[in-house]
Amino acid sequence: MNNPNPISILMVDDQPGKLLSYEAILSELGENLLKASSGREALEQLLKTDVAVVLMDVSMPDLDGFQLADMIREHPRFQKTAIIFISAVHLTDVDRVKGYQRGAVDYISVPVIPELLRAKVSVFAELHRKTQQLERLNRDLELRVAQRTEELRASESQFRTLANSIPQLAWIADSDGSVFWYNQRWYDYTGTSLEEMQGKGWHRVVDPKHVSRVVAGIERSWDSGSSWEDTFPLLGQHGGYRWFLSRAIPIHEADGRIVRWFGTNTDITEQKLAQQRVYESEQRFRTMADKAPVLIWVSGVDKLCTYFNKPWLEFTGRTMEQELGNGWSEGVHPDDLERSLEIYRTAFDERRPFSMEYRLRRADGEYRWMLDNGVPLIGPENAFSGYIGSCMDMTERKLTEEALIKSEKLAAMGRLAGIIAHEINNPLEAISNAFYILRRHPSLDQEARYCADLAEQELSRVAHITKQTLSFYRESQQPVPVSLSDVLDNVLELQSRRIKANGITLEKQYRNGAVIQGFPVELKQVFLNLIGNSIQAMPEGGRLRVTVEEGTEESTRRQGIRVSISDTGTGIDPRYTKRIFEPFFTTKDTKGTGLGLWISRGIIQKYEGTIQFRSLRLSTGNVTCFSVFIPGLTSPRSVELSASLTAG
Amino acid sequence: MLQDKKVILCVDDEENPLLLRKLVLEKAGYDVITASSAEQALGVVFSRRIDIVLSDQLMPGSTGTELARQIKARRPDLPIILFSGVNEIPADAECADLFLSKVEGPATLCEKISMVLGGAITTREP
Repeated sequence: MNNPNPISILMVDDQPGKLLSYEAILSELGENLLKASSGREALEQLLKTDVAVVLMDVSMPDLDGFQLADMIREHPRFQKTAIIFISAVHLTDVDRVKGYQRGAVDYISVPVIPELLRAKVSVFAELHRKTQQLERLNRDLELRVAQRTEELRASESQFRTLANSIPQLAWIADSDGSVFWYNQRWYDYTGTSLEEMQGKGWHRVVDPKHVSRVVAGIERSWDSGSSWEDTFPLLGQHGGYRWFLSRAIPIHEADGRIVRWFGTNTDITEQKLAQQRVYESEQRFRTMADKAPVLIWVSGVDKLCTYFNKPWLEFTGRTMEQELGNGWSEGVHPDDLERSLEIYRTAFDERRPFSMEYRLRRADGEYRWMLDNGVPLIGPENAFSGYIGSCMDMTERKLTEEALIKSEKLAAMGRLAGIIAHEINNPLEAISNAFYILRRHPSLDQEARYCADLAEQELSRVAHITKQTLSFYRESQQPVPVSLSDVLDNVLELQSRRIKANGITLEKQYRNGAVIQGFPVELKQVFLNLIGNSIQAMPEGGRLRVTVEEGTEESTRRQGIRVSISDTGTGIDPRYTKRIFEPFFTTKDTKGTGLGLWISRGIIQKYEGTIQFRSLRLSTGNVTCFSVFIPGLTSPRSVELSASLTAG
Repeated sequence: MLQDKKVILCVDDEENPLLLRKLVLEKAGYDVITASSAEQALGVVFSRRIDIVLSDQLMPGSTGTELARQIKARRPDLPIILFSGVNEIPADAECADLFLSKVEGPATLCEKISMVLGGAITTREP
């Protein structure tokens, strides 16, 4: 039997024969057998070798077994060495107790039964071997513990170095939340010591306004084991508070138990101030924007609108919620929406300013023309944050522009009219004079005189048309007394041929002599236009009624003279009622200049008067009436009540 | 009545119209002296008897209103009619007694001349 890891068994006996017999019995165990024939020898062996079991005879001549056992036990190295006594004499219980007291672990009586001896020794040998293994194991463990401790020490030192180098304040608490370590930055910032701070000591550096909330919050976390976060000011060593974002996370053991809390406090004072500044500047912007006389909007990087100022909301009569995002586009005129969105999107993607016009529905439902100017918002470091735009109601401006264009057109027409007037009127006068002379020349025969007469009539037509269309003529700088009845009679006289030719019935009612201060030529022009239009409207005949009466203008209560010219002609298409006083507006195709009524109104307005008309289309026929009101004191002559005259 | 024909100084830069106007006025019973410019008219107007001046407005050199002002400066009593193919009344037309359009025709012209000569003052005052 070979043991791979033999232990030593020391056999002590003064009789060599016994030693030999023990050796024979134990050799089977395969252990290392040592022999000593005296106590002294045994001690020498023990010192040299690690002996697992000592097998000794109690009765030996110089040093008996008990004495030897005492000596062995005194040495610390052998306190646990197993000693088996072999005694040839009968052992009393007293002897046994004595032996046990000396550290004997067992007794074997003589005669030795080989199996028994082998078995007992073998037990102790095995025990020793196990003990040896345990010791080795223990040493290994101790070594590993030492290594681990060293590692931990290194890692802890690393951690602290790390914890001291981070810009945050940091701390570690027990599982119950009592803080036992802070990093250096904590002490640097708070100017406190661990003694003051440990446990719940940190409460005193939290802003008193926040402390109860903070403590309640963190205690909830201690209880629930969930991480904690809060923002509050901490007192610095120089007395001022700074804002910190504080977080704590639990550190778990392998079994899930919380062993530590690790916390940090990050100084966010600058962010907080920046936020405050942003907030304040935002507030300032809104206050300004709400007081601005224009409509303002702001959009984010996603093109969606994030803000509308008060004037915008008041203009559209909608709420911020309705307008936000793309809501504002609901107010844009459907005909303008697609084009406007296209301009907006294109400019937005290219980050360039834009300007566009569209109609936006006002709170009262009316669409107004808006001029919308948008610019990209570029912050520091070229950060693009969206667009801001301002809108102005430019409806009035647009109308003014249109009017300006119109009046420029008119001015150009006027200049042109001046040139044409000069170039036509000069030869016209000469020709008129020539025919004037010619027609009265005594040498003319009947036919020549007739021709000259016709030529003169035609010339007067030309003269009339140039006067009417190319002139803003006044014969005098000073107004003179003008009888409107005379003017009307004059006009009717001029038109008598056409009235007759068209088969028109003429009714005149002059209730007033109606003398006003004015310029006869231009007044004549007004009534020539109105009466001329009436005659033209009745190519198939009809009734022309001309009345003059004193009257009061209803809207202003002004006293004055009203001249009405009504006819039963074709009437005025309701579509044109708004336009008939516009320059160059005509319903007569190429026959009309489109200036007659416009000029007439201009003239009457100079007298602070008005021209109005009404056109009724009835199943029994149409009635169109133009009514001219000229305010002012009149100097009535004799009231002429003239009977209806029938021409034709 | 016919002791003296009234004398009209007729001013126009255009030859034919001036000639034809002269004929019309002569037919109407006036003596007519012509001048083809304001400068020429000024050379005549103070050196002999003139009862009324009938001047074109737009002429090369001085205009009708300038002529009228110069005449009125020395002869405020001498009636002046400005006569124009351009119907815009010039800004300083008040220096003349009457501003008349050429397209009014010969009859009106004669009528107005007679009116100005014969007591136009009363008709121009309210």
